[in-house]
Parts: sequence; structure tokens; C-alpha cells
Amino acid sequence: MKTLRRRADASAATATMPWVDAPLVSGTPSFGSITEDISRVAERPTTITWLASLGLVGSFALVLLISIGWLFYEGTGIWGINVPTAWGWAIVNFVWWVGIGHAGTLISAILFLFRQKWRTAINRFAEAMTIFAVICALIFPGIHVGRVWVVYWMFPLPNQMLMWPNFRSPLLWDVFAVSIYFTVSLLFWYTGLIPDLATLRDRATGKIRRAILGILSMGWRGGNRQWQHYELAYLILAGVSTPLVLSVHSVVSTDFAVSMIPGWHTTIFPPYFVAGAIFSGFAMVLTLAIIVRKLFHLEDYFTINHLEKMNIIMLVTGMMVGYAYSCEFFIAWYSGNVYETFAFVNRATGQYAWAYWTMVLCNVISPQVFWFKNLRRNIVVMFIASIFINIGMWFERFVIVITLSQDFLPSSWDYYSPTLWDILTYVGSFGLFFSLFLLFCKFVPVVAMAEVKGVLPEADPHHGGSH
Amino acid sequence: MRWRERDYWKSLSELADTEEFRIHLHREFPENADQLPTTNGNGNGNSGDDTPAGWSRRNFLTLMGASMALAGLASCRRPVETIVPHVERPLAYDPGTPEFYATSVDFEGEGIGLVVQSTDGRPTKIDGNEQHPASLGGSNHLLQSSILHLYAPERLRKHMRGDAEATAEEFVATWNGLRETFADNRGTGLAVIAPPYSSPTFARLKRAFARRFPRARWATWTPLSNETISTGGELATGRKLMPKYELAGARVIVGIDADFTNDEPNALATARGFADSRRPLEPTDGMSRHYQIESTYTVTGSAADHRLRLAPSLMPTFIGALARELRQLGLDLQGIDNLPAAGADVDAAFVKTVATDLMSQTGRSAIIVGRRQPAPIHALALAINTALGNVGNTVFYYEPTDAEPVSLASLNETVSAMKSGDISTCVILGGNPVYNAPADIDLAGGLERVANTIYFTMFVDETATASDWLIAASHYLEQWGDTRSVDGTIAPTQPLIAPLYDSVANIELIHLMTTGEIVPSVDLVKETWADVLPRRDFDRNWKTALHDGVLAGSVGAATTPRVDARSVGNAFATLLSQSSGNGLEVVFSSGPVHDGSFANVAWCQELPHPITKQAWDNVATLSWKTSRDLGIENGDVVSISLNGATIEIPAWISPGQADNTIGLTLGYGRTGEPYNEGRRSSNLFGFEPPRQNVGTDVGVNVYPLRTANALGVATGGAQLTKTGARVTLAQTQDHWSMEGRPLYREATYRAFQAHESHGKDGKEDLHHQLLTPEKPHHPPLLPLWQQHKFDTGYQWGMTIDLNACTGCGACTVACQSENNIPVVGKEQVIQGREMHWLRLDRYYGGDLDNPDMNVMPMMCQHCEYAPCEAVCPVAATVHDSEGLNTMIYNRCIGTRYCSNNCPYKVRRFNFFNYTNDIPKEHRLQFNQDVTIRFRGVMEKCTYCTQRINKAKFKAKQEDRTVRDGEIVTACQQVCPTKAIVFGDLNDPESEVSKLTKATRSYRMLEEYNLKPRTSYLGRIRNYHPDLAPKATAHGHDHDTKESA
Repeated sequence: MKTLRRRADASAATATMPWVDAPLVSGTPSFGSITEDISRVAERPTTITWLASLGLVGSFALVLLISIGWLFYEGTGIWGINVPTAWGWAIVNFVWWVGIGHAGTLISAILFLFRQKWRTAINRFAEAMTIFAVICALIFPGIHVGRVWVVYWMFPLPNQMLMWPNFRSPLLWDVFAVSIYFTVSLLFWYTGLIPDLATLRDRATGKIRRAILGILSMGWRGGNRQWQHYELAYLILAGVSTPLVLSVHSVVSTDFAVSMIPGWHTTIFPPYFVAGAIFSGFAMVLTLAIIVRKLFHLEDYFTINHLEKMNIIMLVTGMMVGYAYSCEFFIAWYSGNVYETFAFVNRATGQYAWAYWTMVLCNVISPQVFWFKNLRRNIVVMFIASIFINIGMWFERFVIVITLSQDFLPSSWDYYSPTLWDILTYVGSFGLFFSLFLLFCKFVPVVAMAEVKGVLPEADPHHGGSH
Repeated sequence: MRWRERDYWKSLSELADTEEFRIHLHREFPENADQLPTTNGNGNGNSGDDTPAGWSRRNFLTLMGASMALAGLASCRRPVETIVPHVERPLAYDPGTPEFYATSVDFEGEGIGLVVQSTDGRPTKIDGNEQHPASLGGSNHLLQSSILHLYAPERLRKHMRGDAEATAEEFVATWNGLRETFADNRGTGLAVIAPPYSSPTFARLKRAFARRFPRARWATWTPLSNETISTGGELATGRKLMPKYELAGARVIVGIDADFTNDEPNALATARGFADSRRPLEPTDGMSRHYQIESTYTVTGSAADHRLRLAPSLMPTFIGALARELRQLGLDLQGIDNLPAAGADVDAAFVKTVATDLMSQTGRSAIIVGRRQPAPIHALALAINTALGNVGNTVFYYEPTDAEPVSLASLNETVSAMKSGDISTCVILGGNPVYNAPADIDLAGGLERVANTIYFTMFVDETATASDWLIAASHYLEQWGDTRSVDGTIAPTQPLIAPLYDSVANIELIHLMTTGEIVPSVDLVKETWADVLPRRDFDRNWKTALHDGVLAGSVGAATTPRVDARSVGNAFATLLSQSSGNGLEVVFSSGPVHDGSFANVAWCQELPHPITKQAWDNVATLSWKTSRDLGIENGDVVSISLNGATIEIPAWISPGQADNTIGLTLGYGRTGEPYNEGRRSSNLFGFEPPRQNVGTDVGVNVYPLRTANALGVATGGAQLTKTGARVTLAQTQDHWSMEGRPLYREATYRAFQAHESHGKDGKEDLHHQLLTPEKPHHPPLLPLWQQHKFDTGYQWGMTIDLNACTGCGACTVACQSENNIPVVGKEQVIQGREMHWLRLDRYYGGDLDNPDMNVMPMMCQHCEYAPCEAVCPVAATVHDSEGLNTMIYNRCIGTRYCSNNCPYKVRRFNFFNYTNDIPKEHRLQFNQDVTIRFRGVMEKCTYCTQRINKAKFKAKQEDRTVRDGEIVTACQQVCPTKAIVFGDLNDPESEVSKLTKATRSYRMLEEYNLKPRTSYLGRIRNYHPDLAPKATAHGHDHDTKESA
């Protein structure tokens, strides 16, 4: 009840003074209460609810495991892929999951560099989401190959045949782009975690817990020198991550853009994919944030102001994506290329028009609700919109991939439809994602305590001084 | 069972190390099978290869290979006791080097010469014999597939009495018991039902049989018979005559319901002549004009310049009106009158044009009537051909010498006799008549009243279940024999392998029936040939004939028919007076599985029907209009009633078919039991489920509708209703339109002739493209960086002449046979995963009621700037210096990116371990030079790289370069019309580089700068000015289009 009232106060404040940013943490936070609020989540005894949830999503993760096992035993024929559509849900899911990850890096790195302090509340779990999404994404290119037991040939490993991979292939670029992305994201996340892990270590009651957290926090004592080093390292990693936000999905988009297939061979793909990735990433962050703040009572940290800002970003990126959709049509017409023109007209009117219009509805129409302030501050509306956007962005990749089904020679045209195993593998990847996420919520501070403290008024060196 | 051992094997150990042994080894099979040594690929012998000692590689090869093959088979006929491994390799025996032998097959009473590849004693690939007049080097998908009959896992391995296995001795004893009875009563109560065998030896033995048992009945039956053709000849001249068409010099060709390039007697040779008359390269080159009048679309119809779709009931009117028109134009038809006018239903302008055109090319035209049509039409066509002076120029008539003409009446009488209890013993010499006899001739019912039914068969089929004795039949690659082609040419049949199972040859059986003794087939053949070959030097001549695969000079004399105008006129008038019934008309045709005899061959089942592109099923085809009238969509199951019988079959819209006509494909809906009860296997459960015969329960059997009076067509009387059910069919091509894209490109003959006047100076003149749809305008095609030049050494390339290609599908199966391409089954085809490296793309053009059908072969184009190569992350597909786009299977990890980026979508992926599903027996057919692909690996056309390497290796050994024409790809080799040419583009004198530079040559998707190595020769349509479509009547329609 208290929370509600506080929120009302906060919005009232912003409503009256729009030029003043609303406080980043609502309520009456102190360093102590923040530590208490956040650490409590990671320290309280395992609840039945948590266990039941983990059991549920874990069983979905098991579905993934079974699907992959069957895939390895039987071959990729268990999926719906064919010739011409030799890529199906696996690649759609890969691109989708990679895209999801982008919001985390954007929030933690780019917004950090731009000193967007509101990011502090959400960056921890957004980054965690990035890592889990990239894990899910990496599964798909790994398992989708026909001979999975030699998939390591994708890596430039020294071998007696002096056989290198083909550096001209965008799939190889993917290998580098995504693996670098994963490594850097993990490092960045972990670096950010160190002070908080130390806090947990200091609060730990059990010996084992303390020992483990002690190792993980790498001897963090919170000294001045440590903070100096830490902040420099964090800044450097943010700098390293920033180009990755743009590069990873640009590289992923070259899987399509570098090919000669009408509808794929498009120079707009890199920026369009990056915008789409941020769009879908924020949608996923929003979906998760709404759930997490409710479940763990973190409304003071993930305030409505945070959510509103994310909605604005989604509105912007959604319109960028919408612009890319229309631009593709224009270029298809302007090129005068019959194959290109056909591919796009066919997208909107052909056998997969339903998918195309689902995509447009979800990605272009649904974010338009965020033009209205009361709607973009409405939890229910934004939750529904974020789900729509998640679906829409999946369909965007689906629409792109199944462009394959109708390319140059009409004789090869065919219809692609997924099999049960396609669906189970995708559903299973959610199981893995949420399993990891639940484990994260249970064991790691979901909000970067040290950073949130840094944005409190008390952290300002001028705090308490004269204005 | 021991009765034949001595022929082939028994004496080897006894003879080892003796002079005699070596003499024996000089022969193909110890007793008789001497042959001239052969060397390489094309059956051209080279006696210089023979070693001084006289040891033939072939001998060792055959013995070794056969024994290996036998050792691998469960029911090996005899233990391999006499063969020892080579301690020292015999001279000139090169393990793994294939050898080629000439033989011939008796196909529906017609001899076709073959050259068969033998690898370490296993026959592995069948192709046509260039020296044989019925093949001319080409073959078709059925001949290609017939090798799988040899290796069919469900073959009958032992003779059977009832359900028990029996030995040959037991059968001989049983038969001798029967024979004594029939010897006494001169054959009363004995009946034989046989397919038509063209074999002179069989004919000789049959005469002996008839002398021995004069009262025995003999019925000759095959479901796709030439009876109407020969009877037509009889009507016109009093003699049964078979036409042979030599169309190379023809200028006007009129096909009346005749799929004469594909499914008519002597089709391979006819197709070659047809194509030869239609490949203009220079504007001055002539070209024939082909009119096709047909009810359902055929591949021959797709090659026509003008096609008139006509219901079967109107065919008599058409040819009558044509004759009438010709007579009015002054053709002397010797008083054949009562000819009908075209009337409202037949396009009179079309008839008039055809008649005018025919009159302008007398002696250089041909009228070809299909065997579906009744005899009087054939008689009238014979009369017209004679009057036009075509006989002796383009049409030749031969009197069948040995083959017993197929006679429906004889079958009918025999079955009647059975029913009345007059037959106690019936011998069925093959052909599965219980399955394919006319529906109103109740053979199965008749056989129930026969005490002893003896069935000579390779398979336990529908007829076998109605028989008491099953005699295991040898495959033609396991036996000696001989054949005769339409023109009388005799060809020997020699075995490539000892019988895999306890089987006998047809000539051995007929001889046994007469004499009670089993005489080896080779002796029987030699006995016949003793009369044919000059007595002096028999061995030498015999060897020459075996080597050549054809007996030189045995071609018969063509007869000059003397037409009995009154008889033709009367018969034709009678035909015209027969009114057709109400309701829909039906056309029966054979498709990929022929009459059903190839239903158990997976290659044939998976070969898409050339018109409907349907695999693993047959459908009832309907025209666009009829389907709309009846409210039927593709895949609707319909119920069709005709002559009291009803079947349920999926419907399919086939544009260009005559309205109110149903097209039905024969040969499907076979029945049968699983042939093995399950066996241990390496799969997950350690057990392989019982295997069905490949053709069992695939498609719908339409024979129940096919009655004696409607063997080819039913001119009315059929009812068609929707059942409401729908099925998913295995289509290999879903989309019928080319969407206006410049893929299949064509020009009118007029435009082609006028093209030179635009001043073709060697540079491409964008504003005067000959072919339509025209290539899109594009900026200059410049590479981004310095590309490899590909200007030294061999540079392989291919051309495909769309004017010669009919779209029969033989190349698809030949490629499958050469390259060990697995079949994937109906479900996988529905999924879109067929593995054919070479497919035939079919596009309809024009209006849906009467469209053009355009067929083009499509396989890897070997682009110089191949899009597939750039995107493979592991460099599993790369270019070689000779311009081949190579696929390295053991490097491939299966990302399938190459397939995605292939604009032609010619790459095929092993989604499952398809090869694992191929029966072990079938694997004996595998080409040892081609790698088997495991699951997860991409594959595609290699331009038969194994053949290229073999030729290069040989050339290098002989210190020369590869000669033009030395490398023949599998698709090129099989092609009956020689539409495919392969060779070195870097050699300006090679055929392929000349064709590549021809006026009508183009490369597909040229504007993408892929530089494909395969080029197509655009289709030229030789329209008659009066019938030309409006837009193209004056040629150069592209000029007007351009400005528009």
C-alpha cells in the first residue's frame, strides 16, 4: 500500500515539474535500505514458489535437451526444413535470441557512457538477460548443422591439413561476433557484480556461502584504490561493449544481406537489424522487469519512470523498424529488379502474408500506444505491448528466413511449415532461459546495489551542501 | 537345382592349371561365352587390349564379381568353393575398373540394344547401344531402372510349389508328368499366356511347342500393346505391319494421340530423328513443324509447335476431316470416302492448316498415330502416309517376324475356355496378367478353375497369388537370349552375371515345356543363330555380334504397303458410326512405373510424372475448365465409375488437357505381402520392420476401369463424383508459372531466321535479343576484384538444347543410377526433400485452358562465381581450376547455407541418413566411383566428375589431351534426343563451345554475373503463319514489347 502511495507521489511530482527528472529510486531509500532490500532477495530461504517455478521451467529445459538428443540421433530432418527453405526456426530463434540480448548491452554499456543514470536499476538483470539470451542463441547455430560432431570446424583451429575455415562466409563472422559478444558481456556483467558479491559475502552467515562468495568477489574490500581500478575497468569494458551493440547484429544480418537471395540481399539490413535487436531487447527487458518487480517487490527500484523510458526507446526503435520495412519496399520497386520486387510484394500478399501482417501489427502498430503518456505509464498496457513486440520480432525473423521459400526459380518454390520438434526446441529454449533467470534471481543481486547507491542524492559529493 | 551347375561353375577346380582351364578363361563363361575383349566406356572394342596369353579380364572379373555378389546374399545359390583369391593378379585385370558389355533387352516385344557397365562382376549401370537401331545410344528411365529388378530384394529366390520351396528337378518331374498327358492328347487342356517376346529363339521354341502340342491354346497379352497398330496395318494392307518413323528429314510431323518420343514402339529412335529435325543452329538451318493432337498432355505434346487438345471421341473426326481436307487439296486417297467434315467440335482452321502444310511437304512429312487409338485410325493414317509419299522416306513399314502379335481375342478365348473348364493346365510366361488384364476378362476367376497354374515370374505379385507353381525367372542380365527390334534387327542378349538365385530363362522354360529337358539358354540361342549366321566361321561372327550387341545386316526389308482403300474406308466408317456414350471420357496412359511392372522400383516411383510432377502416386487429371465445372480442386478424392467399376482416386488439374476428359495413369495400386518378416538391424531397436514391396499400396489401381473395349481410351460413359475426402500428394513442383522471368526462353523460327539481319557482330546487342522473355537490362557485369580467369587447361561446360529436350525424365534416373542418389519416399517428397540432382522444371505459358508446357532440365550450373562457395563457413564447396564447382563431402558440416544462396536451388541435403534405407541387395548396384553421402551432408550435380577424372587419367596415361566427346555425363548418355552436350569450353573446336556460342544460346540468370558453365539453347517455335499466336505472328515481338 505504501508503495502505491509513493508511486502516486512520484508521478505527481513529475507531472507538475516535467523539466525535473523524477527520482531514480522512489520511496525513502538509504544505503542501508537498498542493501537490505536487494540482498534480501538473494538471501532468503528457498521458497516453495521458487522451487515450483524452477521445476516448471526446468522441465521445459529438459524438453530442449530431449529435442536436441533426438535431433542428434535422427538428423535435421526432424525439423520442417527443406529445399528451398533450408533454414527454419533454428535460425529464426538464433537471430531472435541474439537480438533479445542487445538491450542488456545497450543499457549497461551505451547508457553508461551517456551517463543515463536511470539505467542503474535495470542494468544488472538486463545484462543477465543478455547472457542467458546469448546462451540460448548460441545453441541454435550449434545444433542446426547436419553433422554436429564436426561443428568445431567452424573455428580456426590449427590442424594437420592446414585447413582454415572460409573467412568469406558470414557464418564464420557470426562465430567471431557472437562469441566475442558473449565473452565481453560475461566479463562486463561479472565485473559489475564484484562489489555486490562482496556485500553479500559480508552479510553471509554460513561458512561455505562466505567462502564461495569470497572467491567470487575476488577479495573486494571497497577501498578507494579498488574503486578507482574498478571504475576504470568498468569504463573500458563499457567502451569495448559499445561497438558490439552495433556490430553483433550487423554481422548477424550479413548472414542474409551478403547472400544473393531476393529479400535478403539488402544493404539496409545492418542498421535495421540493430534497431530491431534493441527494440526486441527492450521488450524482453520490460516483460521481465514487470514480472521481477512484482515478484520480488522491487517497485521502488524499477520505477514507473524506468519503464516509461524504456517504452519511449521502444517507440523510437519500433518506428525505425517500421521505416526499414517501408524502405525495403521502396527500394525493391526502385531497383526495378523483378525478383526483388516480387519478393517484397509476395511478403505482403503471398503465402506467408499472415506472418508479414502479424509482424507489422506487432512491431509497427502496437508500439504506437506509447505516444500517449498515460498508456506508456500503464503497467498492463506496456506488458501486453511488450509481449506483442516479442512476438512481432520473432515473426520479423521468420518472415525474413522464409523468403527462401520463393526465390528465383518458381519451380523450386515450396511451403515451409515447422514440425513438432521445431516447436519443442523453441519452447525448450525458453525453459533454459527462465531456468537460468530463476537461478540468477535466487543467487545474485538482481539490482546493482553499488550503482544504485551511486545515484542516490547522498552519493553526490555536494549532497547536504548549499544549493 | 543342380542341373545347371556344370554350365558355369563346377568344372573350374578340376580344370585349374590345365591348358583347358586357360582356354575356358578366355571365354566369358567357361562353356560358351567367348567374346571380344572390350576396353572402355562406350562399348567400342579394342582388340589390342587383349593379352597374348588370351586371358580375358572379363572372365576373371565376371567370376570374381559374381562370386562376391553371391557371397553377400543370404540365399546364395551355392557355396563358393572353387574360387581362390588372386595370389598374383592376372594380366590386364584391374580390380575396380568397370567393363562394358553389349546386350539387349526384350521390352514389350521390342528388342532394344544396351551397353551395360559391369564393376567387378556386378552389373551396375545400363545404357543404350549406339550401334543398335532401336536405341542409337539413348535409353529411357525404364531401361535405366530395370537394373533394380535384378537387385530387387523381394525377388523370388526359389521355385515355389504352393507355399513351399521347390527345386528345379521337382518341377521337371511334375511337368514331365503333365507333359505325358498332353503328349497323348496333343495339348488339349493346355493353355499358355505369354507377353510378346521378340526373341527369334523364343519364336523358334514356341513353334516347336506348337508342333508338339497343336491343340494347346496360346494367348499373347501385354497391357500396353501395339495390337491396334499392327491390326490397323492389317486392315489397310492385309498384313500386320508395324511402322518405323525416321523423322530426321521430316518437315511436317503430325502426332495424333501419339506420345511417339516417349511411350510408343521404337520411341527412342523416333525421338532421335524427331529431335534431329528440330535443332537449327544457324538461321539457314531447317526445322520441322510438329502438330500434336492429343487429349492429355504428353511430353511429345510439350515439344509441339502447335498443339490441339481434343477429346478421344473426336480423334476419328479429326483424322477423317484431315483426310477429307487433303483429298480436297488434291491428294489421291484411292477412293476412301465417307470422310467427315471437321464440324463444330474440331477446329476446322487447324485441320486446314495441317492439311495445307502436309501437302506442301509430301514425302517429307509423317502422320503418327498413337497405340491408344483404334485400328481404323491407324489404317487411315497408313493410307494417308502412303498417299503423301512418306513411305520409304520418313515412314517405313515392317512385318513383325518373330514376335507373336498381342491378341486381345486370344486372351479372351483362353479365359472363356478356362471358365468352361476346358483348361487343366495354364502356364503364364510372365507379365502379371491377373493384375493388368482387361477388367471384363476375369482371368483370376478363370484360373480358379484350372488345376495347375504355372507362373514364370521374378516377383510374388498378383498373378503369383493365383498360381500353384512359381518358376523363378531370370533377369535379362542373367540369361542368354536374343531380341528383334521393329525393323527386324537381331541383337544378342548375353548375361552380365550368373543368376543370383535359382532362376531359369524364358527360353529355357519354353524348351523345357516342349521337351522335358533343361537346356542352357546359351545352347538354345546358338542353335537359333546357327541358321542366322553363316555356318563358316560361326564363332567369329558370333563373337562379333556379341561384341557389337547387334547382328550386322540383320535389318529386315521394309515393305511397301498396297492400301486396300475399300477396307480402310469401311473400317473407318464403322468406327465413325459408333456413337460415344454420355458422360466423361477417359484416357489411360502409362507413367513413371509403366504398366505396373516398374512399380517396385523406387527410382520410378520417385520420378515425378513428367506432366503432373507427381511422385509416389497416380492421379486423375482433369482440364482446368472441367475441374471448375465439377467443383474439384487439386487433391480432392473423386470416385470414377466406368463400365460398371468404380475407383476412388485423387484428382489433379492438368492444364492443356481436353475438356470432359479424365486422364488416368496405369501401374499403381499394387498389392502384396511384406517380403521379409523383419530382421536384425543396426537401428535403435536392433530390428528392422518387415519391408513392403516398394510399390505396394502406392497410388490407385485403375485397371478395374480398363475393359477390353476401352484399353486406350473410353469415349464416354465415365461418371465422376467428389467423395469429399482430400489427400496431400507428393508434388515436386508446386508452382506452374514462370512469373514472366527469363528462365525458359524462346523465339519463333521466323524471328530466328531474321535474327542475322540485325547485324550480330559477336557483341551482345541488348536491343535485339532474340529470346523472350528477354533478359533484364543491367549495368556492365564487372567483378569487384580480380577474378580467376579460367582460361587455361580444360574448362568444362555443358549445353542443353531446349528444342531437343522433351522432358521425358530419363536423365533424372540416369543421374540417380550413376551417382548413387537415394530415394527418400513419399513423406519426404511432400516435405520438399527429394534428392534428384537433376530435375525437370515444368512451366506453363499462355492461357490455362490451352497452355504451352515448357520443360527444362535443371542441375548445378557450375557458376564460375558461385554464390554457394562464398558462404560456406568451412570451405566445403570450392572451385577447381577446370571450372567445376566441387563439393567436398567429408568437409561439409551441413549448414545448408550454400543451398540457401543457390539461385537455382539445385543443391540437395541429406536431412536423414537416406542411404541407410537402401536395401542391401540394391547396394550392389552402387557406382563404386561415387561416394555414398552420409546424413547432414550437402550434395549436387558434379558434372559426373568421376567420368571426367577417368577420362583425364586415361588421357594422361596415353600422353594426350582428353578428346572432345570422350567424356559423356550420365544425363548426356541416356538422353534419347541428345539434348545435352558436355565438353571443354576452352577448346574452340569442341561441340560444346560451338553450341555455347550459338545464336540461341543463353545462360540462366546471366544478369547476376554468376557465369554459369551450363548454357541453354533457347526453344524455337516453328509456328505456321496461319496459326501463330497473334503476338508472335510476325516475329520480333520483343521489339514491340521493348518500346512499350
